[in-house]
This record gives sequence, C-alpha cells and structure tokens, in this order.
Amino acid sequence: MLGPNGSGKTTTLGMLMGVTNPTAGHFTWFGQPPNHQLRKKIGAVLEHPIFYPYLSGQKNLELMALIKEAPVENIPRVLDLVELTPRRNDKYRTYSLGMKQRLAIASALLNDPIVLILDEPTNGLDPMGIAEIREIIRRIAQDGKTIILASHLLDEVQKVCSHFAILRKGNLVHTGPVDEVGKGEETVEVMAFHDDLPIILETFPGTALVRKEGTHYVVKMKDGFHSLELNRYLFEKGIVVNHLVTQKKSLEKQFLEILAEADHAALAKG
Amino acid sequence: MLHLLKVDLKKLVDYRTFWIIVGLYFFMLCMGAASGMEFLKWLASLIEGFGQKINITRIPLYHFPDIWQNLAWAGGLLKMGLAIMTVISITNEFTYRTVRQNIIDGLSREQFLLSKVMTNLVLAALSMGMVFLIATVAGLIYSPELDFPYALTGIAFYPAYFLEVFAFLSFALMLGVFIQRSGLTIILLLNSYLIELIIKENIDDAVPQVIPFFPLESIMNLVPMPLARYAFQEIRDYVTIESIAIAAAWAVLFNYFAYLKLKKSDI
Repeated sequence: MLGPNGSGKTTTLGMLMGVTNPTAGHFTWFGQPPNHQLRKKIGAVLEHPIFYPYLSGQKNLELMALIKEAPVENIPRVLDLVELTPRRNDKYRTYSLGMKQRLAIASALLNDPIVLILDEPTNGLDPMGIAEIREIIRRIAQDGKTIILASHLLDEVQKVCSHFAILRKGNLVHTGPVDEVGKGEETVEVMAFHDDLPIILETFPGTALVRKEGTHYVVKMKDGFHSLELNRYLFEKGIVVNHLVTQKKSLEKQFLEILAEADHAALAKG
Repeated sequence: MLHLLKVDLKKLVDYRTFWIIVGLYFFMLCMGAASGMEFLKWLASLIEGFGQKINITRIPLYHFPDIWQNLAWAGGLLKMGLAIMTVISITNEFTYRTVRQNIIDGLSREQFLLSKVMTNLVLAALSMGMVFLIATVAGLIYSPELDFPYALTGIAFYPAYFLEVFAFLSFALMLGVFIQRSGLTIILLLNSYLIELIIKENIDDAVPQVIPFFPLESIMNLVPMPLARYAFQEIRDYVTIESIAIAAAWAVLFNYFAYLKLKKSDI
C-alpha cells in the first residue's frame, strides 16, 4: 500500500484492525463481518511498535500470547526468527529502534497469522536494519503468508511486493501487480565507438526519439519494440556497441505519474 | 471473564510501581487500623495533662460490634491510595498506546474495559478482606466479652465497604478513560470531593433532597462516620438499602460512561 505522508494508509489499516471508527463504508475479513475474534488470526503492527516499556521482550510476548490466545510455545520460535533471543529478558525500554521493530514483527507472527500487516516496518532504521527487516519479510512471505505492507519507500515495495495499491488523500487511485510496472515503452541507453551512430539509430524503425546524454545516446522506443531488436539492427549495420542498457520504468516513476494524473483529475473536476 | 482478569494482572505483576502503591496502601490500612488504640492513649495523656482522667477502656472503639463500623469507616478514608493505582493502570495504557495494540491483537473494547473492571473488583475484595481480618483480630483481642449474635451486628458494613471501594475505583477508572493523562486525572480525583462539596453547598438551601444522590456523597454515605457516638450523639449504625442502591447505580454508571467513551473514540 503506497501513498504520500497523510494519504490515509495507517487510517485504512486502523479501520481494518478496529482501532479507528469508519465514518462510512464497510469491509469483511475472510468473507466475514469484522469482529475481535478474527483479529486474533491477523498479525499487525501499525506505525511504530507498541509494547509495555517496563516489561521484558519475553513478558511482552507472553502477555500478547494471552490476549491472542496463542500457544506460549511459539515465543522461542518467533524470537529466534527475529534474532532477539539473547536480549529477550531485557526490558523493552532498553531496546534499540531496530530491536523494537523486530520484536513487533515477532509479536505479529505469534499466532501463526493468516495475514500479516506491517506499517512502515523499516521506518527510522539504518541501512543494515532495513536490510535485516527486508530479509525477515521475504522469509515470512516464502512460508506462504499474505503480507500487507504499507510504505512510502517505493524501492522497498518493488523489492518485496507482488501487488500494489496507491492511496491519495484517502482515495484509492491505482491497484495492480508490481510486475506490470516495467511494461510499456522501453528506453535504451547505447554507446559505441562509431561516428554514424546517431544517424543509424534514427533509421531504426522502432525509434521514437534519440537524445544525447553525456557520452551515450538515449533511444526512446516505439511501443512493441525492444532493445533486442535494436541490438540486432545495429550489429547488421556493422556497429558493435560497448554499452547497452534497457531502462525499465521504476515503481517510483510510475507512482509519481499516477499521483500527478490523480492530481490532474482532481483539478479538472474542480 | 477470568481470562480478562489474567490479562490485566499480567500487566501489573511485573510492574514495580504497582507493588509499591498497593503495598503502601495495605501497609497504611494496617497502620491506620492499629493506631486507634494509640490515639486513645494519646488523648488520655493529653486530658491527664489538664488534671482530668479518662478510662480509655470505657471507649469501645475496638469492641465488638462497634469495631465493624469503626474500621470500615476508617478503611474507607484510605481508598484514594487504591484509586491512584487504578488511574495509573488505565492512563498508562493511553500514554504507552498499548490500549491500541490490545485492540489490534484481538481484545474488543468492552473486553479491554472489563479487564480493568475485574482488577478493580479484585482490589476492592482484597481491601475488604484485609479490613475484615484486622477487625476480627482486633475485636477478639480487645472485646471484654463475646456475645453472639450481638457481636456480629453491623457486619453488613463489609459488603457496603466493598461497594464503597469498588464504586470509587470505578469513578477513578472513568476519569482515567476520559482524561487519559495520569497527572491531570490524579489532580482531578483529589479535588473531586472539594468540587462536589462546593456544588452541594450552593444548592443545599434550594433542593436539599438531591444531596444524597451526589456520586461521592452517596459513596461516603455507605458507611457513615461513627465516632460521634462516643460523644453521645445519634449516628446511623446500620446499612440502608437506599444508600446501597444509589451507590451501586453510580458504580454501574461510571463504568458505563467509560464504556461509551472508549466505544466511540479512535484509539
């Protein structure tokens, strides 16, 4: 779930988890109207981790297991998964931010949830912490659990998610699979030691536009043409390239485009 | 129900502040109950200083059946100590935002509140048991004779005392749910008697019949102040159904208001 700050990601998740009262509309979980019993089968961490600071990590998880009616035997396993076992008996308030985030993930996994909801799980972490959390998320996803991830870090979403939705000012403006983000016209970077390169590039039937950028040329392709054909064409013309890069549209670019479109539509509507 | 109590107790048993406050409360309760005799001795020595003599054993402060009401009333003066614990327990949930996580984890809002109410019931019961135990022991020590069933008159003050503590803890819980900040809640709780007194004083002449229906007044009315009887004044030395009914209604209302507030707020 993507969206700029204040677009309603946490509010949406808060409504799904029963802490924010919706003003209108309805939703179901697993085809049933929402109730607190169903929430026990969902592992969720919204915004920052929330625990009792005066209790140890272990005791916090025990309390949570009691609330979720989860078996206490799961605690060592989830602590191991997030590598907090050595610090489990220390008070929560002594934990670093990364450890707090990891304990939150452990708590969300306590009851073998069917769905896992993580809201900005790497917020405020250093690069190593981010990599660790990302690795944990990937490991969990491999177990076949559904993960709903809210983030404004597009790179993160593109790396770990299969589908994405974009919110803007509380409205859903886009949904789709992450794989499809790269589809559409390609842009290819080409460099070769040949004086006629720009002219030959222009003659390629799939070329829409050629632009020089520093030492290389950027070719915007027509729809349906790919870098493969361009490479073959150049080779037939006797040019051997020493640099050829296909630029796919990043999620970030697509995200900004979708938001710009939504803004435009909102303006048009007045 | 028991499950909810276990949830709330789990939050408290490893919380040092809880043990300090509850420990202090029960210590004060024992000290307060035991100091009556010392007070009488001090009074006697004071009067002796003026050249008079009183026989303190003739003041049956600790004799059955007087002791039941005397200690139930004295114990009731200390309930603020327990109420402060209730306030800390509920406002912590708001400052740490753990109430939010509790709901996310699968408690309903009613269950969350109920877990706090259950703890209040347990604390009130413990307090009642403690005062009852002290009264029994002290009564056996000091009473010149045991005359059953006369010795047991006034024992009905113990269920009334239980209601007194529980209703006051419910009041504290409600304030905590509404205000959510521990300091502010405790200040308001400490001043609530004063606020009610000011209101009572101002309407006393106009509509004196509504005075017994005031919340804190009704809680105090459960076990009326007994000491005036030693100055040969008439006191009420029995529990009235009206006082129970009014205070019980307030206890229910306090918890219901807390429930309404919790139900409709975003947490």
